[in-house]
Amino acid sequence: MIKATHKRLERINEMIAPHSEVLVLGCETCTGICLVGGEKEVARMAANLRLLNRKNGGKKTFTEGVVRRQCEMEFLDGAASLINDADAVVSLACGVGMQAIAEHFPNMPVYPGNNTAFLGLSPELGLFSERCVACGDCLIDRTGGLCPIARCAKHLFNGPCGGSVAGKCEVSPDVPCIWQMIVDRMMRLGQLSKLEDIKGIRNWKTNDAVGPRAYIREDLRSTPPKLDSVVMKPVAPKGGAA
Amino acid sequence: MQQSTAPVVQPPCQNECPIHQDARGYLAAIARGEFDRALEVVRETNPLPIICATICSHPCENKCRRGKVDLPLSIRALKRVAVEQGKSPPPAKPKAQRSQKVAVIGSGPAGLTAAHDLAHLGYSVTILERDAAPGGAMTNFVPIYRLPREWIKRDIDAITALGVTIKTNHELGKNVTIADLKKQGFNAILLAMGLPVSRTPGVPGENSEGVMLALPFLRSVNQEGYRLPPDKMVIVVGGGNVAIDVARSALRAGAAGVRMVCLEAPHEMPASPWEVEEAKEEGIDINCSWGPKQIIVRNGKLGVLECKKVKSVFDAQGRFNPSFYEEQCTLIEGDIIIMAIGQGSDLKMLPDMGVNLNERKQLVFDAKTMTTSQEGVFACGEVTTGPGSAVRAMSTGRRAALAIDGYLKGEKVVFTEPLPLGELAPEVVNGVKRIERNVVPAQDPALRVKNFNIADLGYDAVLGLKEARRCLNCGNGAHLIEEKCIACLTCVRVCPYNVPVTRNGKVDIRVDQCQACGICVAECPVNAIGFRMPGVEDIPQRIETAMKGSKQELGFYCSYDSYYLRGVNTQGMIGIPCLAKIDTKHLLKAFELGAERAFLAGCMDADCPFTGNLEWAQRRVDTVNSLLKDAGLGEGRVKMLKVEPDQFKNLTQLVAAAFQPKEAPKG
Repeated sequence: MIKATHKRLERINEMIAPHSEVLVLGCETCTGICLVGGEKEVARMAANLRLLNRKNGGKKTFTEGVVRRQCEMEFLDGAASLINDADAVVSLACGVGMQAIAEHFPNMPVYPGNNTAFLGLSPELGLFSERCVACGDCLIDRTGGLCPIARCAKHLFNGPCGGSVAGKCEVSPDVPCIWQMIVDRMMRLGQLSKLEDIKGIRNWKTNDAVGPRAYIREDLRSTPPKLDSVVMKPVAPKGGAA
Repeated sequence: MQQSTAPVVQPPCQNECPIHQDARGYLAAIARGEFDRALEVVRETNPLPIICATICSHPCENKCRRGKVDLPLSIRALKRVAVEQGKSPPPAKPKAQRSQKVAVIGSGPAGLTAAHDLAHLGYSVTILERDAAPGGAMTNFVPIYRLPREWIKRDIDAITALGVTIKTNHELGKNVTIADLKKQGFNAILLAMGLPVSRTPGVPGENSEGVMLALPFLRSVNQEGYRLPPDKMVIVVGGGNVAIDVARSALRAGAAGVRMVCLEAPHEMPASPWEVEEAKEEGIDINCSWGPKQIIVRNGKLGVLECKKVKSVFDAQGRFNPSFYEEQCTLIEGDIIIMAIGQGSDLKMLPDMGVNLNERKQLVFDAKTMTTSQEGVFACGEVTTGPGSAVRAMSTGRRAALAIDGYLKGEKVVFTEPLPLGELAPEVVNGVKRIERNVVPAQDPALRVKNFNIADLGYDAVLGLKEARRCLNCGNGAHLIEEKCIACLTCVRVCPYNVPVTRNGKVDIRVDQCQACGICVAECPVNAIGFRMPGVEDIPQRIETAMKGSKQELGFYCSYDSYYLRGVNTQGMIGIPCLAKIDTKHLLKAFELGAERAFLAGCMDADCPFTGNLEWAQRRVDTVNSLLKDAGLGEGRVKMLKVEPDQFKNLTQLVAAAFQPKEAPKG
């Protein structure tokens, strides 16, 4: 899931300087789950903004709201009156949710309360770790189910670099070398020989080489959609994948 | 006893109690030092609180789930704390009165309970007691060193204060009949006559001089101050609680020594294990697995009880049917033998009054309706159940009162038994902090056998608080508000007891497993966890109230420490049943409402019954301090104080000292 962190309070305060009625709007999906977007976080953020504002002698008011998923227009419609009553929205969603507000409410300023961090998981309480870069052409079938693009500091796709020492990445002693993990795991799975297959050059078109990406589920549509991004098709196996 | 159709689910202690007392409720009140409230809770379901606090066989403790962790709570001793420390009066007589009259025959625990309940239902109740003093078996047979008679009187006085009339020296079949009572306008009659007759084993020599029966012996010791002739060795035959009462009473009545003889092996003895233990402490010699064969009289005086070795007490079907090694015998010497092998009813007057007995001379009785063979005549207590505890007799009294109420209103009464919460799961047990059971102080055995003063001294208030804190609050903690849950799994991961689990892609907070620590409630990011225990869900409102009137400081204290704070002005402070139930949003709210500083005062780690709660409370204090710093309010606005029990009285000074700016180190 998308993981995010709060922006610094001072930074948010600067953004909303021109506004007097500010809505702090949370999201109960990804950022809710990573503990920066739920109802309670909204309350904490709003309370802290109020305290800072009072401290600075400001007269701003802060309202609070939360939607199931800020990235869905239908859910945003449900919060329309709350949004329209404000001068500005501080969104505690991810960048997607924030932009959904910007798109759906053309005249409403929206400011990020969060920094969208990565796609990842929470392996234990209070820890969030990156696992995926959404490259658009998943190749972990070749790497024992572990992604070297997301988890290798150099995004190496054909084995470890010389910085892999005793199973650790040279970037930090806390970070395991993903290639060591890939090799260990493929040995356990009896798939190590797969690493000897020659892989062609990866087509990075699906990643970010074409501009904003879109894809279409033709089976759900009778008319072509109004496009705002480059439609991605399955990648031709120039090098082999897709 | 519930009168609804859907079974209610109760904590195991409450469910196992025959009268389903809210033990969890009064234990929680005691833990908070609210003794008046504790007594109120006790009185809600218990018409004989003092008696039960003293002699109840406390089946609740057998089911206490802390028993799976270490040892069960001392629930009976805690009830005694409630009745000794609590000052709340019994509930007043109901205003609405009904015109019908009910007569209750017998003033033992069953009869008194029925009378109490019927009085509260608005009926005019008269109890007829054949003895000179009310109380039935409790007055006649329960030893004074277990239950002072003044204490019985206090409970009975509370019942007569409801308007119940007790006519002593009124014996059914002797100076009153059922027909008389009906003629006098009683619309229902309840037989609660108990089991007043001692049984005998039927062995040769049992009619000799020097052989006594348990119940007359106990009655004369209790009521008439009977004392044994000097230097007599007493043999008590029997292995039940009455036999133990007889043995221990005999010691106090001057016996040179007491030997008990019973059929059962130690693990089979029907007496409560703690009674057996106390008897042993007093030097009573218990001879198990021997049955009386004959009583041998020598030189015209009783001298020896000959016993035969027991082969088995129960038959293959588990029925009482002792068999013996007839040739394996022993002689037990003594001067007096007291038979305490069982007791029976005295119902011989009933058939003449049109109330039928069966071929075994037992009352014809329908437990579903509490009725006898005669219209309008009901029964309860040991005549309907056989020998048992006072509290079980009370439960039948309660049921009979409801049955009579239904009869007099012309309504059908269906009794639905409540269900217990499930067992504590092993993974939950593992997380629970072990806390030693507090021993109930008692008179020294060597001294107590020389007097009839109450042997069991009970907890004082402080020991009561400590013991009550051990309660696991079964079923009184967190529950999921499903429509708000986003399945973030925070609760699953923060719970020290592994109570929340995932099931079919959803979170399930197992209400029956929850330990009510409150960590998850304060950590849930979407306020999707509710809390049953009072004093948690209303924290925001209490903060708003407390912050009215431009207060600059807001204090939170652990309400389990209320007793230690009784000399301190806590006006405007907020009591929370453990500080880990305070959420960061609560603390920020206080600052939004104008607080300049806040403090949390609670127990030392060793005194907190929960696992990791103080750590969580400290973490939240740190978080809020960090947030307040970001908001430009400076550092250290919130302090957490861990206070020794005897230091709570100095709380004001402790708080002032905590906020005192630290002196810069010299040099």
